[in-house]
Amino acid sequence: MTTPSGLPVDSYGQSLPLGLDKVFGAMNALGTLWILALMVLINLDVTGRNLFAAPVRGVTEMVSISIVGIVFLQLADTLRTGRFTRADVLLDKLKRQSPVLCDALQALFHSVGLVLMVVILLASWAPLAEAVRIREYVGAVGDFQLPVWPVRLITLLGLLATAVCFLLLAWLDLRRLFQRRSAS
Amino acid sequence: MSAVAIALSSLVLMLVLIYAGLHVAITLGLLSFIGVWLIRGDAGVAANLMAQAVSDSIASHIFGVVPLFVLTGFLVARADVGKDAFEVANQAFRRIRGGLGVATVAANAVFAAITGISIASAAVFSRVAVPQMLRFGYQPKFAVGVVAGSSVLGMLIPPSLLMILYGFLSEQSVGALFTAGIVPGLILALAFSLTILGMATFRPHMVYLNGQVQPVDDTDLMSVPRMLWLMWPIVALIGLVLGGIYAGFFTATEAGAVGALLALLIAIGRRKLSWRGFWEVLIETGHVTVAVSFLIICANIYTRMLAMSGTPQALVSWMAAAGLGVAAFLLVYVLLILLLGTIIDSSSIMLIVLPLMLPIAQQFELNLIWFGVITVVAVEVGLLTPPFGLSVYVIKSTLGNSVDISLGDIFRGTAPFTLTMLAVLALLVAFPSLSLVLLP
Repeated sequence: MTTPSGLPVDSYGQSLPLGLDKVFGAMNALGTLWILALMVLINLDVTGRNLFAAPVRGVTEMVSISIVGIVFLQLADTLRTGRFTRADVLLDKLKRQSPVLCDALQALFHSVGLVLMVVILLASWAPLAEAVRIREYVGAVGDFQLPVWPVRLITLLGLLATAVCFLLLAWLDLRRLFQRRSAS
Repeated sequence: MSAVAIALSSLVLMLVLIYAGLHVAITLGLLSFIGVWLIRGDAGVAANLMAQAVSDSIASHIFGVVPLFVLTGFLVARADVGKDAFEVANQAFRRIRGGLGVATVAANAVFAAITGISIASAAVFSRVAVPQMLRFGYQPKFAVGVVAGSSVLGMLIPPSLLMILYGFLSEQSVGALFTAGIVPGLILALAFSLTILGMATFRPHMVYLNGQVQPVDDTDLMSVPRMLWLMWPIVALIGLVLGGIYAGFFTATEAGAVGALLALLIAIGRRKLSWRGFWEVLIETGHVTVAVSFLIICANIYTRMLAMSGTPQALVSWMAAAGLGVAAFLLVYVLLILLLGTIIDSSSIMLIVLPLMLPIAQQFELNLIWFGVITVVAVEVGLLTPPFGLSVYVIKSTLGNSVDISLGDIFRGTAPFTLTMLAVLALLVAFPSLSLVLLP
């Protein structure tokens, strides 16, 4: 969707500098494959324990820890494609009546998102270091154990990607705002 | 400022920011961060709480299967399972006034037993049922209204994404919640059908373009074997998934994975799924899941902030001091949900309202399974109410330019069904046994 001036109405779904949209897309694809793997894993467990009395060990633990990895792998791409939940009522009105104000508001909102991501990112370093140091794991000793740090690391990378995405979206908003003003 | 005052002003600010268009998850995260900071006087504590929410709030087995329930919904939508159900229902109800409308409701009820997301229902039936109704001289407004109204069955009749979410938040059994949704779902489907019948009988202009009941076309009927051939995948899916749960082969949460695999096999077996289509479904599944999950993460710190401020307890004692009983609480609760439903989507409403309201419901010793059914139905009304009604938006974008109907007209066409839903909601509130009858 574009406005009469030929500029897009918002920053979603566009290519980003340094091919970062491709990077986010690749992370997203990885998360997608992970979802499929979960499906296969749970079905193997259900079939195994009902038909062959041979359950797959640790599926419960893997499912509960996987969802965190999946979400953070896909967070940046979900944001980039404009799929974060929001109320569009006011923004849609502004898009028609005052596109410049809409751009400014979007830039502000994306900056707020950036700040929040950075705060969480900074606070997430310590738990990662701790998980590595004390060899934190899920599951029970002697049965099934899964280290926690890989998922913590993915979470951190996902947060970083999302923060960068917020930054770029805000930058696109501002650039469009100035292009719009110089066009009119 | 006291902790309760901080929490309450954050609630007001939240409504303002959400309306302004700040992403709902960011709003929740930001205000909770500031709230905890002010209450504890320490930004570090607030940041650590948030980091903790990120790592542990969705790390649960129940929540881990959400993407699989979403995947099942999109896969069965691709497999034309809904289209087949509609064709069979269409033939079964062809002699009734407003028959195509009733057929849409019936097909939606069947489809709802496979899918747990309403947007899948809305998308499928705007593609399948709307063109058919237009061809037979129905009002466009009515056609889209029926599709929007009956799409809510998707998340009431099990499986249901909203029930999983509620079970997760309230620590109730998802299996029990699923069971509790069956009778209310059937009542709602029946009420929709009666509404259509009533409109076709007493207000035919609302249903038909020229106000006349259309002649029945009996020339091109399906044979019974053909109908069975169309129905078997649906029957097999429902039978295996629900049967498997109640026979104890797998849990209600694992059913998401079993359903997804079966839906995948059916879609492949009927040659409805290309590699490209499958990939699109997977990407879409990821985006829907992530949007909900990120909301949950941010709502989790908001819940902690509310608990820290003591607001739920303050509200309980305030309600007791004002002499408000259960009835008043339920009224306020439902009204609040309906109000929020006009601007935000279903899962956001639950995540915003439940942390505040569940402690009060527990205080009143309400049955939390029944409370869940009430919550889901009330939340789902929000799918249909302007200015933001998700089902209506999905229908509009699915129809695209193929049918010339404005967003406003879709909302107007949906209004009779919204009112029907409110009536059923009142019924469910008044008679808890309707929701609890199938439970042991």
